[in-house]
Amino acid sequence: MQEFLDGLIAQGYFAGVPRDVVYAAGMLVFGAIVLLVFILNVAGGTTFVERRVWARIQSRVGPNRVGPQGILQWLVDGIKLVMKEDIVPAAADRPLFLAAPYVVMMGFVSAFVVIPFGSRLIIADMNVGILYLTAITALVVVGILMAGWASNNKWSLIGGIRSAAQIVSYEIPAGLSIFPIVLLTGTLSMQGIIEAQGWQPWRWFVFANPFTFVAFFIFFTAALAEGNRTPFDLPEAESELVAGFVTEYSGVRYLIFFMAEWGNLYVIGAVVTTLFLGGWHIPHVTDSVVLSTVLEFLVFFVKSYFWALVAMWIRATLPRVRVDQLMTICWKYLVPVAFVNVLGTASWMVVFPQGNRVVSFAMFLVGVAIIVQFFRRVFFHLRRARVREHGELVFSPLS
Amino acid sequence: MSLAGFEVEVERTGATGLETEEMTLNMGPQHPSTHGVLRFVVKADGEVMREAIPDVGYLHRSIEKISEKVGYHGFMPYTDRVDYVAAMFCNQGWGMVCEKLAGIEVPKRGEYCRIIAAEFNRIASHLLSVGTMVLDIGAATPFFHAFREREKINDLLEELCGARLTYNYMRIGGVAWDLPPGFVEKATAFLDAFEPLIDEYNDLITYNTIYLGRVADVAVISGAEAINYNLVGPNLRASGVNYDVRRDEPYSVYPELEFDVPVGAGEEGTVGDCFDRYIVRIREMKESCKILRQCFKQMPDGPVIAKVPRKFKPPAGDAYIRVESARGDMGWYCVSDGSEFPYRTKVRTGSFAAMAIIDKVSRGLMIADLVAVIASLDIVAPEVDR
Amino acid sequence: MRQRGYLRNIVDTAKTVFEGMAVTFSHFVRKPFTVQYPDRTAIRVQDTLPFRYRGILEVDLEICTGCLACERACPIDCIVIDVKKDPQTRGMVMTRFDIDMAKCMYCGLCSEPCPTGAIHHTPEFEGADYSLESLIRRFVKDPVVAYKPKKGPETDPDIAPLLDRGMRYVEEFASPEAKSAAEEEAA
Repeated sequence: MQEFLDGLIAQGYFAGVPRDVVYAAGMLVFGAIVLLVFILNVAGGTTFVERRVWARIQSRVGPNRVGPQGILQWLVDGIKLVMKEDIVPAAADRPLFLAAPYVVMMGFVSAFVVIPFGSRLIIADMNVGILYLTAITALVVVGILMAGWASNNKWSLIGGIRSAAQIVSYEIPAGLSIFPIVLLTGTLSMQGIIEAQGWQPWRWFVFANPFTFVAFFIFFTAALAEGNRTPFDLPEAESELVAGFVTEYSGVRYLIFFMAEWGNLYVIGAVVTTLFLGGWHIPHVTDSVVLSTVLEFLVFFVKSYFWALVAMWIRATLPRVRVDQLMTICWKYLVPVAFVNVLGTASWMVVFPQGNRVVSFAMFLVGVAIIVQFFRRVFFHLRRARVREHGELVFSPLS
Repeated sequence: MSLAGFEVEVERTGATGLETEEMTLNMGPQHPSTHGVLRFVVKADGEVMREAIPDVGYLHRSIEKISEKVGYHGFMPYTDRVDYVAAMFCNQGWGMVCEKLAGIEVPKRGEYCRIIAAEFNRIASHLLSVGTMVLDIGAATPFFHAFREREKINDLLEELCGARLTYNYMRIGGVAWDLPPGFVEKATAFLDAFEPLIDEYNDLITYNTIYLGRVADVAVISGAEAINYNLVGPNLRASGVNYDVRRDEPYSVYPELEFDVPVGAGEEGTVGDCFDRYIVRIREMKESCKILRQCFKQMPDGPVIAKVPRKFKPPAGDAYIRVESARGDMGWYCVSDGSEFPYRTKVRTGSFAAMAIIDKVSRGLMIADLVAVIASLDIVAPEVDR
Repeated sequence: MRQRGYLRNIVDTAKTVFEGMAVTFSHFVRKPFTVQYPDRTAIRVQDTLPFRYRGILEVDLEICTGCLACERACPIDCIVIDVKKDPQTRGMVMTRFDIDMAKCMYCGLCSEPCPTGAIHHTPEFEGADYSLESLIRRFVKDPVVAYKPKKGPETDPDIAPLLDRGMRYVEEFASPEAKSAAEEEAA
């Protein structure tokens, strides 16, 4: 985006305005566009997609009445929430209670500054991109603690404290899993990490060496835990704590918490795509700048949204872990393995300074084998339930 | 043990130099995971519970007293409401106690119809219990799958007796309707489709490591404790006690049917933990399928109800019978004074006894485990309070 | 986590999560079980219900004999019938037949002893309304002469189909005494 603004200045626009001001204003405008056009719609649309995906997994149809196939459901839900009465409990800590949703929102929206939607579509390509991302998403912890405490409700307090412990703990394996990637590229910048990969799957970092393969799974798990998603969704365990730390919130404030959680799903997907799956790389099919930018954006969106779908799918499948088990998983399983990954990647780089094409391709085949085995199990289950006999096989998710 | 509202009880322990407070939480009558209106006052030290005091009575409807007003025949629909999840057993219990009072014998085909309805209801009740247990632990999908199968059973029972939940199928002396034409074929088709789905259910959630981490070795109830606290049914069998009313004190035509009684063996943890109570129910569903197939093969022809006068006046006396309901040994006791209306009816249900053991077993567990414990004991509020 | 060996734990978790996700994915490509009531069903739900379905009660006054068996059988006393002997014609005349559907628990005990099947359950279940009084179904508008079942088949073309349906409903019941009660009434 910086080149774009430089180009505009070189063409004579903004004459007389200092460069820094132009940059700042440009970032603000792009940030606003990303927020209003992208984040709100994606976060809202994700709620709708999640409900439909969940429903099909659970043998039912999700919301399908409001608008064609129910597409406007999330909009209508948002409008309804906005129209609700804004209740602040009488004994609640008022300033903290009112500010908590906004702190969470800030932590979540600020992450979009460094998400690389395309080779030229990034608001600010900081040279500490991934570090900034990890740091700013930790702001959410403060907001959740504020929400839990200020609600003056013991159940919310439990939810808030659980969540704070969870997010802070899972920052460690997440950060440790980023280290192998940083070691491989030598840069923390998001665009730099993507540029070190290629469009072919075997050039993606997930298949670079066995250690990054494991780091991918660890990072995805840790990111799910940071986003309060099942199996780590204790802070909002519906069956225990009603709604955890957001129990006392209603109306717009609840909407903000809601959106932050669902938008976070997309951020998880985007970060996983950037670090491990080659980002926006496309094969060279066109010389046109506009067309290639659009294609890159689509590729990136599809890749990152796929992981949001996987997160929804996992949420539908797995039960919740208990708080002490959550801590055990983090500190006894994920952190040691993440350390091993860092050391392993470092050793790998000493042995193979330019990477090893053969091993990468072999890892890619391993990945393909896992997917093939997965579909074999799916067909086994379909066969055992005699779905074809009963005429129940339906591939379209929109029925 | 009187608690007015819920005051925060402050216990300042100066022993370790840290002042800590014990929180008193109210897992109140309205809560997403208590099975019906139950209330627990939980005293917790952080996440770990010190006491979980149950408070019952929110669903008390004086059903036993109502029997004294409506008479023997009229009480049958009320027995559905004693445990609406497994209503056929309550119907059967009331029918049996009236028959014992008056010395009526139910014709063979009537008994088979009763068993068929009862075993279908057992499957439905266990599906609900197992489904809500995994839902409380966090997995939302198996709950819907279990309820989808329950819907199919409800459809079958709707064809049989006209209602989906409060069946009022049985009468004193037998059952009200014979099997409709086509029922046996539809029921067999359902059973054929259902048995692989139990295996699919097991693949999805039963042996899932996260699920096992939540239920294995949690709230272990030993066999002696279970007997002391009066647990019955799957709860008792999960603790290793091999007792089933259908086999040990047989009634109806159970002596002519062959079935196994699953007993908890501690395969994923200790004998008597939450997983055992869960897996015993899953296995009982398979056994019920076996029983149903045998019934369809062995059913004789004939009448399904004995002749019972409209003004039913059993001789003065009392009678107690046991039925193996989905929730365990349900006891029905009726005292008759020779008139049309019973003098006293009493129901002894398994869930009421299970409430007592929750406090004992949850000391030292976490709040998240309390949910698993309540769900694994299969407590339904209408049975607790009647 | 249960102590089963460190690596064993990891491998077990991965395997069971993988299997669980395969099962849920297989459900994703199956037809949903939902019946999209009330507007997206192929036929009206009421027409798919079995004959024995215990929906809202209906009384065919043309074949009601005024025997009050249903009023006596109801455990909740929600049926109120006023029947008296007309001095001129020496027949029974009904002036009131009210069923309070708000109290009714759809148990079916009233339709069992009916000799002609006049009172029976319909497959109708959509009975919600805005006021409690509207739930009291009053079947008698003008005083109605009670029906006397004939010894042979019913010849009146208006009443015959009602009697057929009623008797079919009653015959579904297995109770031997309902049939004998009908014979007593006919005698």
